[in-house]
Amino acid sequence: MSKNKKLKVGVYGITGCAGCQLSIIFNEEEILDLLSLIDLKAFPFIKELNTDEEFDYVILEGLVANKLDLEILRKLRKNSKMLISLGACACTGCVPAYRHFTLKENYEHLLYKRQEELQDIEPSPHDEHVKVDYYIPGCPPDKKEILRFIKGSVRGVLPRPHQNPVCIECRRNGNACLLDEGKPCLGPITTGGCNAVCINGGLECWGCRGPTKDMNLELMIKILRDRGFDDRFIQDRMRTFAGLKLPMLERVMQGSKSKVLQTRFDGEKKFYE
Amino acid sequence: MAKQKTTVENPYLPKPYKILEFYRETSDSFTVKADMEIDHDPGQFVQVGLLGIGECPISICSDSREYIQLNIREVGNVTIALSKLEQGDTVFIRGPYGKGYPMRYLKGNSLLIIGGGCGVAPLKGIIDYAENHRRDYKDLTLLLGYRSPDDILFQRELLEWKNRYNLQVTVDQNTHGKFCYGAKEGFVTDALESMDISNNNQIAFVCGPPVMMKFVIRSLKDKGFNDDQIFLSTERLMYCALGVCCHCMIKGKFTCVDGPVFRYDEIKDLENE
Amino acid sequence: MQVLRLEKKRLLHFLDVVKKGFEIIAPVKSDLVRFSKIYHAEEIYLEKQSYFPVKEYFFRKEETLFQFRGTSITVPAYAAKKRMFFGLRRCDLNAIKNQDIVFIGDMGDPYYKAARENSYLLGYHCNTAPSPYCFCGSLDLVDFFDLMFFDKEDHFLVEVGSERGKSLAEKYREFFTDSQRLITQNEKRIPGVHRLENKDISGFYDHQDWKKGADICLSCGACTTLCPTCYCFEIHDEVKTADPCKGERRREWSSCQLQEFTRVAGDHIFRKEREDRFKHRIYHQLQYFKEKYGVQMCVGCGRCIEGCPTRIDFVRILNEMKNGKTENNG
Ligand SMILES: Cc1cc2nc3c(=O)[nH]c(=O)nc-3n(C[C@H](O)[C@H](O)[C@H](O)COP(=O)(O)OP(=O)(O)OC[C@H]3O[C@@H](n4cnc5c(N)ncnc54)[C@H](O)[C@@H]3O)c2cc1C
Ligand code: SF4
Ligand code: SF4
Ligand code: FES
Repeated sequence: MSKNKKLKVGVYGITGCAGCQLSIIFNEEEILDLLSLIDLKAFPFIKELNTDEEFDYVILEGLVANKLDLEILRKLRKNSKMLISLGACACTGCVPAYRHFTLKENYEHLLYKRQEELQDIEPSPHDEHVKVDYYIPGCPPDKKEILRFIKGSVRGVLPRPHQNPVCIECRRNGNACLLDEGKPCLGPITTGGCNAVCINGGLECWGCRGPTKDMNLELMIKILRDRGFDDRFIQDRMRTFAGLKLPMLERVMQGSKSKVLQTRFDGEKKFYE
Repeated sequence: MAKQKTTVENPYLPKPYKILEFYRETSDSFTVKADMEIDHDPGQFVQVGLLGIGECPISICSDSREYIQLNIREVGNVTIALSKLEQGDTVFIRGPYGKGYPMRYLKGNSLLIIGGGCGVAPLKGIIDYAENHRRDYKDLTLLLGYRSPDDILFQRELLEWKNRYNLQVTVDQNTHGKFCYGAKEGFVTDALESMDISNNNQIAFVCGPPVMMKFVIRSLKDKGFNDDQIFLSTERLMYCALGVCCHCMIKGKFTCVDGPVFRYDEIKDLENE
Repeated sequence: MQVLRLEKKRLLHFLDVVKKGFEIIAPVKSDLVRFSKIYHAEEIYLEKQSYFPVKEYFFRKEETLFQFRGTSITVPAYAAKKRMFFGLRRCDLNAIKNQDIVFIGDMGDPYYKAARENSYLLGYHCNTAPSPYCFCGSLDLVDFFDLMFFDKEDHFLVEVGSERGKSLAEKYREFFTDSQRLITQNEKRIPGVHRLENKDISGFYDHQDWKKGADICLSCGACTTLCPTCYCFEIHDEVKTADPCKGERRREWSSCQLQEFTRVAGDHIFRKEREDRFKHRIYHQLQYFKEKYGVQMCVGCGRCIEGCPTRIDFVRILNEMKNGKTENNG
């Protein structure tokens, strides 16, 4: 990258709710500075004139749910040096991918009537179809993380991706652990970087940033079972946001039934009185 | 916020230095010479960085009071950013850190220098040192292994080394039959094996990828070398280089303070860590 | 050492007066017990030990090492207010002492030093173990405080532990009377806190029982965050959007329980296995630190056990190793 030439960037969305693209714009105070750092060639969501040409990188929201999505994804991949998946749908498949785990008759009647035209594809994240260079996960993604990525890219730096569990930030923020209160918090197996916003606000982590590479899934299941949650609940909760990124879930759930792990949980009552 | 004058005592503060020379060694590595005038031992390292990008530990590969030379391979954020510098640019350096090779205590010995890939960089410090104190040491045997002829480092110096010392270069594969200083095809370990060398008044210095080090040590032991005749260089993630952040710990030893150079008998038990 | 007496009913008044000259940091109970700045002396809660450690006041979660603009570097000046810490337990105090060894003793960390200066350490002696996980009695804790308050029904005996403590007591002399006696060693012993049977763990490195802990470890890092002595950190740079040539270099807390802790370029992880990471923490606490600094780092507060979602009790695991009891665990 020569020193003065700005990076050509595109921001696009395929099937999704546009909330992730909004997260970029939510950087209200810094958005103008941000736009001056890069050459924003395309951002159809907020821009009238868009040119799709050779991009240095494309930030893409949403997942592949129909043939058109797939075409767009492939084209952007071809036209761009780097592809950045933005948001939970793009990274894991998120809620739409839940379709994989339910029976067809449950949703068949909900499909669009003009289905032939749309040509339905099983909802799937980007990396099921093309190579992805960087992930900015979350539902919605953390606006600061997007900022950090763009700032870094300008200097040729890819920020080290978060790989630590949510608990790290949660504890650092001085929260009481919700698992101790008997709530089904998925923080320990979920990639951090969100500053534990949900727990700061009293809500347990639902795992929107996807599972960590180093998770102890077996133990997490055991912890939730100990707190009285049934397997159906655990599966649903874990898959809501993790989408296709927990392929081993069923196997681990089966396997862990026979294994004894001695943990201690002092009942629903908050242990620390 | 009130500003305080930068003080010398603050151990975290790097100082700016000028790049006197930037030389591209191979397609993914380069050597910079910076005008840092320090007293150091071969094998010690410095923390090199750029403001806004970060720092990383790099071994000093020269032996001079007027400047330091650093050979750097481009693998990540900091090193790639450094690779974009030119002569006259500024880098930020603090150091030197760690314990280097105890050359003063090894006088009167012959030196056997075995390096693999970018592990040759810290060893060049010894070669330069020995050259500057030529009468203190007997023979120098250099055994340097690379993946391919394109990866050979210090090509500017090699011809000289070939004339003065017992030099042997190996390449894992010589695909295009290029001239490479009499390089033999094969692994360093094979070359070592077939070498006629005794442990008599001979000190071995080994640096390279972990697997290579393991095999080299094995064959040195076969040749009768004692543990205290072998010096190794270790690598760990580092942040502070001051012995506080604890990232570089190998069991109870701190690579940044107690190392990076260890005598084999000091870290024999730590191997598996 | 000199010992004074303070009537219990005068404590609040004493603290309220002190508050005029100092910021008082003391344990307060909200959802959990934590050290925070108090506005009224009644807020102080002394029933239980704090859930969160006091270290964040000295070794802060995030610290700006310096700011830069282009190639010029400036260090933000930081001067801590005069702070009085009240209600520190023996373990908390020793933990501060151990972090002093790291940051002040060896390398003179200016940030820690600045935060630590101007702080007065007032302890509160435990008459009984405040948590079932305490084991401070098994470790070699020392007296380290400016003033130590011993709870005696209707009054406190206040032991003076330093010159600083002495001058503080002088300053507020009107609250104290002479105690006419000293604190005996026996009074300093806390009953029931000797759970760790064997603090020399050098022979256990290859013991199979480490797995017991690792199996029920989530690698969530709660233990290192809640530990009052853990002091690992990492360093990162952050730049401004308006001008990427401006920014700051920051250090923040880190945890050895994570793979990230030893991940280097090329995605190699030196301590990849959970068991190795768990073991490393315990060895650092009980052995490596001692090798380097002559004292054990762990102060036996039990916070890492209490805060662990699965309550991994490393003390029990070590005891079982020593006693050769290998419970079949699956
Ligand atoms: C004592 C010592 C001497 C070294 N000498 C040399 C040398 O002479 N030449 C050379 O090319 N390389 C050397 N290395 C390796 C070099 O430090 C890493 O390649 C470099 O840190 C990668 O940083 P990065 O920012 O480019 O990579 P990224 O993957 O982007 O790393 C981000 C951060 O991680 C850390 N990091 C990543 N990998 C390493 C690593 N292997 N060691 C330490 N920290 C790491 C750094 O703090 C870095 O800022 C040495 C390492 C050590 C420990
Ligand atoms: S509340 Fe959730 S995220 Fe926070 S520490 Fe507990 S398990 Fe982890
Ligand atoms: S290791 Fe555990 S018991 Fe020891 S000081 Fe840290 S938190 Fe307390
Ligand atoms: S690099 Fe921080 S302790 Fe060695």
